[in-house]
Amino acid sequence: MTSAVTTTRHGGTGGRTAVAARARQVVKAYGSGETRVVALDHVDVDIARGQFTAIMGPSGSGKSTLMHCLAGLDTVTSGQIYLDETEITGLKDKKLTQLRRDRIGFIFQAFNLLPTLNALENITLPMDIAGRKPDRAWLDRVVETVGLAGRLKHRPTQLSGGQQQRVAVARALAARPEIIFGDEPTGNLDSRAGAEVLGFLRRSVDELGQTIVMVTHDPVAASYADRVLYLADGRIVDEMYQPTADQVLDRMKDFDARGRTS
Amino acid sequence: MTVLKTSMRNFFAHKGRMALSAIAVLLSVAFVCGTLVFTDTMNTTFDNLFKATSSDVTVTAKGSSDTGETTSRTGKPPVMPASVLGEIRTAQGVKAAEGTVFSTSVTVVDADKDKLSPSSGAPTIVGSWNGNDARTMKITSGTAPKGPGQVMVDADTADKHHLRLGDDIGMINVLGTHHARVSGIATFTVTNPGAAIFYLDTKTAQQNLVGRTGVYTNVNVTAAKGVTDEQLKKNVTAALGRGYKVQTAKEVAKANQKNVESILNVMKYAMLGFAGIAFLVGIFLIINTFSMLVAQRTREIGLMRAIGSSRSQVNRSVLVEALLLGVIGSVLGVGAGVGIAVGLMKLMGTMGMHLSTDDLTVAWTTPTVGLLLGVIVTVLAAYLPARRAGKVSPMAALRDAGAPADARAGLVRALIGLVLTGAGVASLYAAATADKAKSGSGMLGLGVVLTLIGFVVIGPLLAGGLVRVLGAVILRIFGPVGRMAERNALRNPRRTGATGAALMIGLALVACLSVVGSSMVASATDQLDKTVGTDFIIGPDNPQNGLIAPQAVKAIKGTPGLTRVTEYRPALADFTTPDGQTLRDTDITAADPTYATDLRKKTVAGNLKDAYLPDSMSVHEKFAKAHGIHLGSKITVAFKDGATAHLTVRAITSSDEVIDQGAKYTSLATLEKYVPADQMPLDALVFATAKDGQQAAAYKALKAALHDGHPELTVRDQTDYKQALKDQIGQLLNMIYGLLALAIIVAILGVVNTLALSVVERTREIGLMRAIGLSRRQLRRMIRLESVVIAVFGALLGLGLGMGWGATAQKLLALEGLKVLEIPWPTIIAVFIGSAFVGLFAALIPAFRAGRMNVLNAIATD
Repeated sequence: MTSAVTTTRHGGTGGRTAVAARARQVVKAYGSGETRVVALDHVDVDIARGQFTAIMGPSGSGKSTLMHCLAGLDTVTSGQIYLDETEITGLKDKKLTQLRRDRIGFIFQAFNLLPTLNALENITLPMDIAGRKPDRAWLDRVVETVGLAGRLKHRPTQLSGGQQQRVAVARALAARPEIIFGDEPTGNLDSRAGAEVLGFLRRSVDELGQTIVMVTHDPVAASYADRVLYLADGRIVDEMYQPTADQVLDRMKDFDARGRTS
Repeated sequence: MTVLKTSMRNFFAHKGRMALSAIAVLLSVAFVCGTLVFTDTMNTTFDNLFKATSSDVTVTAKGSSDTGETTSRTGKPPVMPASVLGEIRTAQGVKAAEGTVFSTSVTVVDADKDKLSPSSGAPTIVGSWNGNDARTMKITSGTAPKGPGQVMVDADTADKHHLRLGDDIGMINVLGTHHARVSGIATFTVTNPGAAIFYLDTKTAQQNLVGRTGVYTNVNVTAAKGVTDEQLKKNVTAALGRGYKVQTAKEVAKANQKNVESILNVMKYAMLGFAGIAFLVGIFLIINTFSMLVAQRTREIGLMRAIGSSRSQVNRSVLVEALLLGVIGSVLGVGAGVGIAVGLMKLMGTMGMHLSTDDLTVAWTTPTVGLLLGVIVTVLAAYLPARRAGKVSPMAALRDAGAPADARAGLVRALIGLVLTGAGVASLYAAATADKAKSGSGMLGLGVVLTLIGFVVIGPLLAGGLVRVLGAVILRIFGPVGRMAERNALRNPRRTGATGAALMIGLALVACLSVVGSSMVASATDQLDKTVGTDFIIGPDNPQNGLIAPQAVKAIKGTPGLTRVTEYRPALADFTTPDGQTLRDTDITAADPTYATDLRKKTVAGNLKDAYLPDSMSVHEKFAKAHGIHLGSKITVAFKDGATAHLTVRAITSSDEVIDQGAKYTSLATLEKYVPADQMPLDALVFATAKDGQQAAAYKALKAALHDGHPELTVRDQTDYKQALKDQIGQLLNMIYGLLALAIIVAILGVVNTLALSVVERTREIGLMRAIGLSRRQLRRMIRLESVVIAVFGALLGLGLGMGWGATAQKLLALEGLKVLEIPWPTIIAVFIGSAFVGLFAALIPAFRAGRMNVLNAIATD
């Protein structure tokens, strides 16, 4: 297992299995006794390699918790999570940090960039931390793809919100992680900038074979995905392949109505 | 009212962030109060002692000092004939009068020839056991001394030196060595801070201390019922006529107290000075804390402004927080100050000075001064950040956090800083090139203050440059972690500048003093090598408490292997110079003519050897200039307790040598011609020179001769002498460094404070970095590196500035003989490396806390 953690992998291109990550009977509970709150209730899920997966659900459904657990940011109460063949549940902080650094990419809703570093330095930060040299050709391609070539020397404060998120996408892609996790990556953007970022994510799946998991509550954002998972009360209650925005919206209204009547 | 409520809530919500500022206030206030309580307690102790030990009226011989101490240059106390006792008894209102004999010019040793004198600088007193002292001392074992073979010792001295009844004690003075066995031990009923006291019976005291019976040094007079001390004094004075000194108990106590107070005051103001430096350093810490609190609260303040708070309300709310901080810090500080005072008293106890906590004196002014100082300093320091808070626009509530830096203010600041620094450097240059020490020292002071303020003002600017250089030199090794540490240190240059400046102040003083100190040693050593032509210097270990008795000089002269022995005898005289001025109690040094060979002083006119011709003398250049003296001028010299001479100036010595600076020389023969033998002062030093090639043997022989017969004297060859000089200056420097440690500790707290608050401020960033794979170790290293960079930045500024000051001071003091500039590189480098470690140490807790942060919570922090 140790060797699996330290081996550098290349997103989508060299995976052995069709499943990039999986969760088995994952429970995440806070507190105990009377005040016990179950955020994830025996969740089983497989994330397909080379696919764009969206996780949806109402507030408090556990969608962010699921993503955090899959990404090794949060611990589970019980159950197992695997990244490829590596079980990440039970790993110590040091190994987990290495795993995040070498095999996972992140895009957060806001505050993705270090204000003291310029765009390029932010993009190469995970590799710098690891002490690896970035692959020049790949880096150029990524920068090209997200359209940042002219702004690499800019500090985050000199970039617009959309540009900042594009830098974050570039950072996530640059290290060729096995999986990129996005936590409402377009949540703070207007619809045009959001569409741009989502377009890049889509292209990175189609053209670069990247695996992406994204939490969102925006049906339009979800429509960029190959597959949508619906969470409610800590359980996966439904899924949909090749969704359109309208289909997603309808399905959500459905859940809302059910939620209100139950 | 709401302002107060918000302030209180804010204060207690962020009490962790205030903790280090509060400690800084606490430490400074505690040091001030500790100093005040300690010195007040010392005063009380001495006051009680002097009041308790003085009789109603004391009569002493005319030559005695006001404090009733009976040391003299002749080694024998001034005395009065026993007949005064009868005269005093005839005065009205006298109930009793008792004659006593005391001397402090005695060295007391035990059977192993180890000295029994206190090491604290308190006197050693040998005297006659008398009724007055029996009031404040109780014989706790044995009996009072009787006959020449018995001595009674005070209990503290007996304890310290494990003296028991029957032990042999030797008392060495100008009259020889007298042995006696301990017959009794007496305990003080008041606190005796440390004098060692030995009692003989009156007749033995007269014989041993003065050399004849029928004389007294003091007469203690007791008033009859209903007679005031003042009245009694008047009556006694009337009965005795002139020629005696008559003092009431109050006057004796006051004179003694004045003596003690002047020493205590030096100590008090020195310590308060260092407390002031600590306060100054603390100001930086407080400014940083409030600046960061205000920056973090920008949105909140914007909201307050948006919903209608006025500028002054916001301003006031920050100041109220500062007030709370000041009050809490100061109150705790006052308490801690009493603790510090007790600690100091204990410390004094280990050095042989006994103080009792019963005398602990906390004047009402002490807590008042402490509180006022603490509160005022805190509120003043918070004023600038508070004003900045008031300026926050309501729009800030809507904007993302992080106000843009005010570039124009930076420029103005840089200009002011550069002007101040420039003016400071110019003053320092003027001081270094000054041709008069007096005008130069003013320029030096001005230069020090201006460069210090200038550096503080341009600190942020310097931080930008220096941190980049440090980054290029050191941090590059650490790769991206080093780069991030550099960027973080540069992120807020004002904060880095202020934190570094706080450390700079303490270290600048350390560097400056170490340069001056080692230049002093180097200059003196250099001059010793160039001018001293003798092998051995012999003198008492404790110059206040001893001179060289004639029989010791005889012993030295009798030591084999010596070619010459020079006696060196300071005397006092009233001078009347050619310009008509009369200078009272002026020093004149009488020596053998060989002294001109032993110490080859430069002359600006004449030959120094000629000063030792009959009725001749030398003066130094400055004195000559001031009083219009030329070669051949005649000076009227009225020797103290001797005749008046007219001496011809035959040499003028140079004024810019450190050794024996400003001495005026004449020959022993001349002194002996005008001062009668029984009034002749004793030698202060004796110089001995060995025959060629016999130095080692002669040194050994001298040591042996003195150890056996005169343990009060020490012989040093040139190497020893240099070492002693070095040790002495080293000791003084260590004491000052110890006091500066307070300011440095506060500065270190400042570094911890800055890092701790930056970690809080950067919580989200830390969360992000941890999420994308920065390990705990890397994170901790990043924070440590930032801390080291700040500390090293402060050290570079401080050491640079301090060495500049030190070098300037040396150039200025070169006029006074401080000719050699020596930079103590080992000390400087040690301080530099030490400050890097201080940086590491300061980062320990902030780095630990940053590493423990929960990644998800950190990211979610607003």
